[in-house]
Amino acid sequence: MPKNPDDRRLELLQGTLDMLILRTLQWGPQHGHGIGQAIRAQSDDLLRVETGSLYPALHRLEKHGWLSAEWGVSEANQRAKYYRLTAAGRAQLSREQDRWSQLVTAIGRIMNPAPAGNPGSEE
Amino acid sequence: MAPRQDEFDDEIRGHMALSMKERIDRGEDPKAARLAALKEFGNVTLTRDSIRAVWRPRWFDAIDSMVHDVRIALRSLMRARGLAITVAATLALGIGANAAIFSVVRQVLLRPLVNRDEDRLIYIRQSAPGHNVANTTFSVPEIEDFKARATTIAAFGDFSTIEFTMVGLGEPRVVQSGVVSGSYFDVMGLRPVLGRLINAGDDGPKADGVAVLTYRFWSTALNRDAGLIGRKIRLGSRPATVIGVLEPSVPYPADTEIIANVVTSPHHLDATMVTQRTHRMTELFGRLAPGATIDDARAELVAVHAAMVREHPDAYSPKADVHLTVKPLRDQITAPARTILLLLLASAAVVFVIACSNVTNLILARTVRREGELAVRAALGAGTHALRRTLLAESLVLCGTGAVLGVLLARPLVSVVGRYAARFSVRALDVTVDPSLLWVGAGLAVLAAVVLAYVPRLPSSHAPGGLATGGLRITAGTNRRLRLFAVTQIALSFVLLAGAGMILSALVALQHAHTSFDTRQVLAIDVPLSLESFGPKSVAFFEEATRRIATLPGVERVAAGNYVPWRDGGSTFGGTVPFAVEGYTPADGEADPRARLRNVTPGFFAALGVPLVAGRDFTDEDKAKSELVVVVSQSVAQRLFPNGDALNRHMWWTDPYFGKPAPRRIVGIAADVDDVEVAPKSALTIYHPLRQFPFAGRLFVHTSGDPYALVSPVTRVIREISADQPVERAATLADVRAQVLAPERLNAFVFSGFAGIALLIAIVGVAGVLAFSVSARTREFGVRLAIGSAPRHLLARVLSEGVWIAAIGIGAGVLTAYAFGVVAASYLDQMQLPNAAAVLGAAAVLMSAAVVASLMPAARASRVDVLQALRSE
Repeated sequence: MPKNPDDRRLELLQGTLDMLILRTLQWGPQHGHGIGQAIRAQSDDLLRVETGSLYPALHRLEKHGWLSAEWGVSEANQRAKYYRLTAAGRAQLSREQDRWSQLVTAIGRIMNPAPAGNPGSEE
Repeated sequence: MAPRQDEFDDEIRGHMALSMKERIDRGEDPKAARLAALKEFGNVTLTRDSIRAVWRPRWFDAIDSMVHDVRIALRSLMRARGLAITVAATLALGIGANAAIFSVVRQVLLRPLVNRDEDRLIYIRQSAPGHNVANTTFSVPEIEDFKARATTIAAFGDFSTIEFTMVGLGEPRVVQSGVVSGSYFDVMGLRPVLGRLINAGDDGPKADGVAVLTYRFWSTALNRDAGLIGRKIRLGSRPATVIGVLEPSVPYPADTEIIANVVTSPHHLDATMVTQRTHRMTELFGRLAPGATIDDARAELVAVHAAMVREHPDAYSPKADVHLTVKPLRDQITAPARTILLLLLASAAVVFVIACSNVTNLILARTVRREGELAVRAALGAGTHALRRTLLAESLVLCGTGAVLGVLLARPLVSVVGRYAARFSVRALDVTVDPSLLWVGAGLAVLAAVVLAYVPRLPSSHAPGGLATGGLRITAGTNRRLRLFAVTQIALSFVLLAGAGMILSALVALQHAHTSFDTRQVLAIDVPLSLESFGPKSVAFFEEATRRIATLPGVERVAAGNYVPWRDGGSTFGGTVPFAVEGYTPADGEADPRARLRNVTPGFFAALGVPLVAGRDFTDEDKAKSELVVVVSQSVAQRLFPNGDALNRHMWWTDPYFGKPAPRRIVGIAADVDDVEVAPKSALTIYHPLRQFPFAGRLFVHTSGDPYALVSPVTRVIREISADQPVERAATLADVRAQVLAPERLNAFVFSGFAGIALLIAIVGVAGVLAFSVSARTREFGVRLAIGSAPRHLLARVLSEGVWIAAIGIGAGVLTAYAFGVVAASYLDQMQLPNAAAVLGAAAVLMSAAVVASLMPAARASRVDVLQALRSE
């Protein structure tokens, strides 16, 4: 729960960070800072990823073999670690995406029940 | 695969730079941008640690949490120091005893011999159960038959033991020597550490005399002098050259100083040795032929032996019932130690069970005391798993400490047990502490730890009230379990105590057995003459020696003989010889009576304090050429002359060795003495005057003062007569007997040690259970006192509780001991069931121990402060 009622930022749902990272990297290799910024920008500033969660997550994904990493030079002229989606990572992304849409559908059905007599409605 | 540590820092630094650049690009002041970036990033150290944690292998986390658990365990054990010390010490005793004995058992029974291909090496033995002879050994003609007929044996090795007076290596002395043919060392698969060993070139009467030093003799008596190779020595009357030193190996069949070739021993070359089938003195070994198994060899050798017996009926009396046994050499060497070591191992295992059940009891009581703590932890979210892990960590710490102490304790124990086992198997001579000790210790500790962690009941989340109870509540189940373990300890301690009691009472009986000898004042001295000087020359020597020694101050009587009581039991004269007497015909099928044969000088009976019951002692008139006479023991007279008319009747030896029967007149009857068995049994003995049977080598000096003060004067007198004459092993008969009894005394000592440890642990166990039960019932006692119970009633109550536990334990122990005895008796020949004295003694000891153990808790119960007790909840 946000401390400030004006603060419109959302808490990340547990278990979704990995999926967001994988998704972000679909457009090409990126370093940690870039991934964080991309999630923020694409969520319209609603989602902000804490570095304390982001970096361990990146390393976890790398350890699983879903990401590969290489060192390059960033826009700030500093050494930076660039992460790239691997084939295994791509497969994992599609699995997580499927599960996510199932979850959304299921929760949606409960929260916004369809009018009676129209059970096949879409969300 | 995992990134290096500094890469984490680089990555974070890169992130900071980007974050700052972004802000500066937006137009922020660089300083402010830097602070904002830092602030946004949050805790750098924490992030770095979480990244590192991602890459850490799983086992690292496991160890990490174990270290954590162990730290907690250490802290909580520090608060219960008394308990921790008791538990660790108890376990140390249990683990130490087991590890030490296992280590000895492994090295004595399981380790291979150093001999090349020792599993192909067999030992062949001939026995005559009908004559009660366990090992008749073989004669040369017998060995030749085996060599000619056996195909499953690649080669035979033979070994006979003989004494030589050796001159040329240090003082002239009598050495035990093996006499072997050239095939022996090759068959045994032994190598020299220096020089060479005896080979086929050293066989035959024309070869030069050669001798090999055994490693023990070379390293202990000769300072490992490599220059001894090539040294000329004299063995008896023959010259020999030292040609090599044998590698360290199990000395079997005899622990000799040297091993020489056949030519050094005139006896081995004479006709008796070579042609007489009944002249048996050689041990036989064989190496299996390629492809042959021990079973093949056994079948073939037994068949060859049976044929031999058929072909030479004169050499194998049907009554002797000769048998042939064939077994691997290693089994033969370890056999005598097997029984005693397995018994020790069983005792150690029993001690371990007692120790474990005692420790379990202590831990169980402790867990009940901390049920509150565990309940709080369960309520705060610790799962069953986590609680078990805590308990496991605690018991691991305890058992680990116990194991370390136990292994430390085992090191000295190994040498004690090794020296002890060396009396039964030569293999135990070089037992050392080996690494298996550590594994056994660690294994036992882990076993104990797991048992300990799983015995206590955990607070179940379904059972409410764990938190609600402020005080201590023992459930009936816990109490039952505590008592069960205490009863187990008492029962097993009883088994060990009864066993030790049995061994002790046997020892006491032996030590107090009446021997008829005047053991304290008689000094026995070995004066071994070399083989050639037997005969009239030896008689002259001993008569001269006794005459001169008798004049020494402090000497009351002196005599010579051929046999030192008990000490010479292993010699030829430890056996018996068949004889016949005038007027007594053995019933059909009954064997001739057998008696021990002793040669003594006049005055022997008086010198050793053996009274003459009838007739006369020998005199100087009983000469070689005069009438043959003997003195017989009272048993001979009574058994063979039931009418009491033994005197002046005749006896003669019937063994073929004596040739044509020569009747000897019985001139005296001496009191019975048993000079072979330490526990006096049969005493059929026949004495010859030394002049008529000139074979002696022992002196007996009866003294008025300290017998040992006479050793050097006597030695001086003998050296005056013969400068090269060895004078050895002077000891009073009392000390000889003590020496012979040493194994029994050691048995008693070791098993009493085990029983003592068990008893100690059991006392701690009973005291612990009662103390716990008293402290848990403080309130109950308070109430009892408040409503008028006298303190001594409470005292009696607790005491009787202890007595009950002990009584049930003793009852269970009697059953266990009986079952154990029955099982053991089926495996061991000499196993006897414990006698009544041992059983009653053990019961009495345990009962009084239980009372003593109950006294302290009982006293505490009777001193409970009523007010405090009532307020305790």
